[in-house]
Amino acid sequence: MSNILECKNVTKVFGAKVALSGVTLNIPRGKIVGLLGPNASGKSTFIKLCNDLLTPTSGEILIDGNRPGIETKKIVSYLPERNYLNDWMKVADIIGLFRDFYSDFNEEKAYDMLRRLDINPKDKLKTMSKGTKEKVQLILVMSREAQLYMLDEPIGGVDPAARDYILDTILSNYNENATIIISTHLISDIEKILDEVVFIKEGKIVLTKTVDEIREETGKSVDSLFREVFKC
Amino acid sequence: MPWELKSDRPIYSQLIEQIELRICSGVYPLGSKLPSVRDLAQEAAVNPNTMQRALAKLEEDGLLYSNRTSGRFVTEDVNMVKQVKNKLAQEHVQVFLKKMKELGFDYNEILSIITTIAEEMKQ
Amino acid sequence: MLAKLMKYEIKGTARLFIPLYLALLLFALLNRIINPFGMLEASENFNLQVLFSIISITVYFILIIGTFVMTLVIMIQRFYKNLLGDEGYLMFTLPVKSWQHIVSKILVSMLWTILSFIMAICSILILVDIDNLFEEIRQFISTISDIFGSAGFFTLPYYALLSLISGILMIYAAIALGHLFSKHKLMASFGMYCVLYVIYQIVMALFILVFGKKSFNSLISSPSTSSLDLNNLVLSFSIPLIIILVVNFILTNTILRKKLNLE
Repeated sequence: MSNILECKNVTKVFGAKVALSGVTLNIPRGKIVGLLGPNASGKSTFIKLCNDLLTPTSGEILIDGNRPGIETKKIVSYLPERNYLNDWMKVADIIGLFRDFYSDFNEEKAYDMLRRLDINPKDKLKTMSKGTKEKVQLILVMSREAQLYMLDEPIGGVDPAARDYILDTILSNYNENATIIISTHLISDIEKILDEVVFIKEGKIVLTKTVDEIREETGKSVDSLFREVFKC
Repeated sequence: MPWELKSDRPIYSQLIEQIELRICSGVYPLGSKLPSVRDLAQEAAVNPNTMQRALAKLEEDGLLYSNRTSGRFVTEDVNMVKQVKNKLAQEHVQVFLKKMKELGFDYNEILSIITTIAEEMKQ
Repeated sequence: MLAKLMKYEIKGTARLFIPLYLALLLFALLNRIINPFGMLEASENFNLQVLFSIISITVYFILIIGTFVMTLVIMIQRFYKNLLGDEGYLMFTLPVKSWQHIVSKILVSMLWTILSFIMAICSILILVDIDNLFEEIRQFISTISDIFGSAGFFTLPYYALLSLISGILMIYAAIALGHLFSKHKLMASFGMYCVLYVIYQIVMALFILVFGKKSFNSLISSPSTSSLDLNNLVLSFSIPLIIILVVNFILTNTILRKKLNLE
């Protein structure tokens, strides 16, 4: 399957609220794609749908040809916006958990990254600062040799130096068979590492272009264009 | 040498320029082996596919050549590099002259300014 | 996968139960040494000794009751926090089917419930000297086999375990149903539990009405109740229990699979 992710007319409704409407998207392998939109535009809903944390009201999502379920969870590595780690665990414990459940988890890589960030695996998660916990979560997600990475606001609450580290980690983990989808509203930091951007506004896709296409056609950075398109 | 990438121009063309600059200035000497696409992309903090396209274009232009097994190398052709150097110089001068004209200088004034400042920079 | 889930389930809950059990057993031991009952019997009027003994006994009873209350609370909190709270983002992205999550939690909850019972009994044994313990046990066993026959040793535990599983599942179903509400999820869960409980009672009553008449009549009319009849009674009562159990399971599983909505 050449497209790692295919969405056909996906709609998600919560009661009276339409979170996503008619989303059609095809993303091939080996790309780094930015899913860009303001808060509550449907980005997180979309990512949760891809991870089987929500079911579509209508439409279909296929990851490597499969509907979201056990088979896709084995090849998708998801970094949620939230902190999902059990506080009482030590870092080594959560690494053990990932190793137990994910056959594509590279334990050595994880320990290597922890070492480079000076994080002690024997530390309990609840003693760590929020920023450190986020780094641990990122390390866990990037240590999987997955086929599709979905990162929901990976650089959101983090200081600029840590942001650079995270972007560097994303680049160093890149491989041509995997695709990384990054959802964020902090665009100027990441646009250089993106192949393509998808603008999503009020649950609908309003633009799909490569970064260079945008810069060429508009003479602006993606960040500037974003500010225009999503002006309040 | 830091990678200077502006936000309003396509990254692809800027990468080409930046690599040309590095070749001309000797950061990547003639005949030397370039780092891998991955490493270059990480260094420049850009998307590897974009870096790959830039390198492919430079190969097409003859500044780089690739050996299937051992990677990408800078050309050994001194003349070709000289040509690129001149091309880059031309582009910079054209931009400079345009700016100076906008400021209202004429040809002679421009020449004397250049000579004066070049002297000062020597010291 | 189920075994791995259970491993982490136990790890996640053991750190709450082990200290509780230790406290219970230690306090039983303490009470045994201090022997408050003896002190009470021996003293004639109210003094510090008596006060101390009363406090000691009271605390012990609180601990016993507390153990069961805690077992219930931890069971509920674990399901809620681990699957429907932030940790749910981790749990539901594991390549594991939702029914496996439910089953692993039921099994571990059963484990702790049974252990709590055992710990409570152990603490009583520590506290109180039962003369001829084995003799008492033997009498207990023979009483049961007199009434229920040897089959009773299968039917009774079977029914007890079924009740336990059914009870746990009803709680899980209530929590899952409460999750469907957008606001006041906890209150909604509590409300749903009451609803489910009422439905359960109605189903049991209906069952007795429809099927029970026959067996009750035969029991009343016959001169002596055979153990076979009693065992059959127990087994037939387990049928509505199984139905309710299955319904609760399907309810919980469907909600987790299709109606999950983590914040």
